[in-house]
Amino acid sequence: MEHVGARREKTENTTGKNTTGKTAVITGATSGIGLAALKELAGLGFRVIGVGRAAKRCAEAEASIRSEMPGARVDYLVADLSSQRQVRDLAAAISRLLETENGGCLDLLVNNAGTVSSWYVTTEDGYEMQFAVNHLAPFLLTRELLPLLNKAGFARVITTSSGSHYNTRMNWRDVMYRRGYNCLLAYKQSKLANVLFTSEFNRRQGPGSRIRAYAVDPGLVNTGIGEKGTNGFVCWFWRIRRQRGVAPEIAARTIIHLATTPGLEDPEAVYWKDCRPKRPSGYSQREDAGRRLWELSERLTS
Amino acid sequence: MLSSMRSFVLITGATGGLGKAFAAECAARGWDLFLTDLSESRLALLAVGLSRLHNVEVKYRACNLADPAAREEFLKSLETAGLQFHFLINNAGLDFEGPFAERTPEELATVVRLNVEATVAITRWVLRLRDQARTFRILNVSSLAGFYPMPVKAVYAASKRFLLQFSLALHCELRGDDITVTALCPAGMPSNPGVIRSINAQGFMGRVTAKNVGFVAAKAIDRALAERAVYIPGLLNLFLSRLGSLVPSSVAAALINRRWRETSKRCTPSN
Repeated sequence: MEHVGARREKTENTTGKNTTGKTAVITGATSGIGLAALKELAGLGFRVIGVGRAAKRCAEAEASIRSEMPGARVDYLVADLSSQRQVRDLAAAISRLLETENGGCLDLLVNNAGTVSSWYVTTEDGYEMQFAVNHLAPFLLTRELLPLLNKAGFARVITTSSGSHYNTRMNWRDVMYRRGYNCLLAYKQSKLANVLFTSEFNRRQGPGSRIRAYAVDPGLVNTGIGEKGTNGFVCWFWRIRRQRGVAPEIAARTIIHLATTPGLEDPEAVYWKDCRPKRPSGYSQREDAGRRLWELSERLTS
Repeated sequence: MLSSMRSFVLITGATGGLGKAFAAECAARGWDLFLTDLSESRLALLAVGLSRLHNVEVKYRACNLADPAAREEFLKSLETAGLQFHFLINNAGLDFEGPFAERTPEELATVVRLNVEATVAITRWVLRLRDQARTFRILNVSSLAGFYPMPVKAVYAASKRFLLQFSLALHCELRGDDITVTALCPAGMPSNPGVIRSINAQGFMGRVTAKNVGFVAAKAIDRALAERAVYIPGLLNLFLSRLGSLVPSSVAAALINRRWRETSKRCTPSN
């Protein structure tokens, strides 16, 4: 262990504020915002681990990055984040990979994977798909990777949230929206959960923590998120709407900004859009809601 | 005392889309569960997930209910364990998609063994294990397909017809014994990627007749508690089922035949 620690220090000393040698994990990294952010980070010299659900898409993304950027240090890991078992296996695989490289140190975790489902679909754990993938998976992955994040000088946990988190509350009576499922309400709740999680994470870490969490509002982005798990009206509506969205590369800028700018330890700024702090919804800053969601999430991932 | 003993809800086919929704709904009502399906590992994951969410006891045991010997062993194990039940949800069922002549005899026999034989056997056996202190509820998952002869789903639709008639008869017969029997007759339910693909392939009709499994499970349990004989989720589906009894069977079969052919044409080349 001592040897490994020394090696780590050396890396930091030689790189200074440079990002070379820093490590990042990005989920949902085979398309859209995740892929754009991954390429950008790899270009900045990050050692990046991308996560995707389909082995084929992961292999394609990895191959295309290797041919575009021959020097990039990129690996892809396959995991279906709707499965808690696979989230745990993913965290173990990341730990093993980084253990051999830098003593198991992770500087950046980007919880970017997200899903939309037209229908009430449950995961193998019996939880509603959007709540499981958009909220429980980031919660569990962050917790499982905490030992690695703790080894970094200053680690960041960035979760892709959305402006959808405004004007909604947690549906505590039925967080899984089992009885009255509505695709949009369940999506909005999951994105609100991202901001609640981010704020509660920072509260629990306390001031002066060496890990900080941020929620990113990518704005309207031209990606396929609204077409993959949907059909009919939702799918059609998204196809029209995405045309007005910005390119994923532009949306990824805020993630890159948060990942690379020094001196972002300001605990007040949890929610970011267009590389600037933005005021999140009042509900998302309620401590009682944050605590309640945290305790529920702990129970559901115990 | 018998009434102080825990009593369970038995759910078959519990790790399928509708099965998981039934399990979640029953757990949300605070009922202890006994789940069965083919895969032990999937049952274990679901049992853990539901007991975290709702603080109920979830027991399970894997069994291939289409296999008579395995089924008998399973049913005996319930008795040996001294379990008692207040609710039985006969949800396990399957279909092998595609024309009759393209299915193997084994596949066709499996549909009948699981959908028909297993339901009858389990119902008979679990009645003996009922919690005498409570009204006993049986919910049989039939289908909108039980209302008409369905080309391309001939054996499946006939098996669902069997379940519908079986339920309606038992509903009357067992009433005096404080036992209620309800048949659930849903249209397609978008519960997993495969079904969602096939609902999309059916186009507009597929989408408007489809209902969320969470909603269907919750309402079906409400109806079972209200001692209703049949529950057809959705007004349009109710209308379609009535149509099934107004239109002569031969005409219904011809219409459905045409629709399925169009659907399978749309489904096959694109996939």
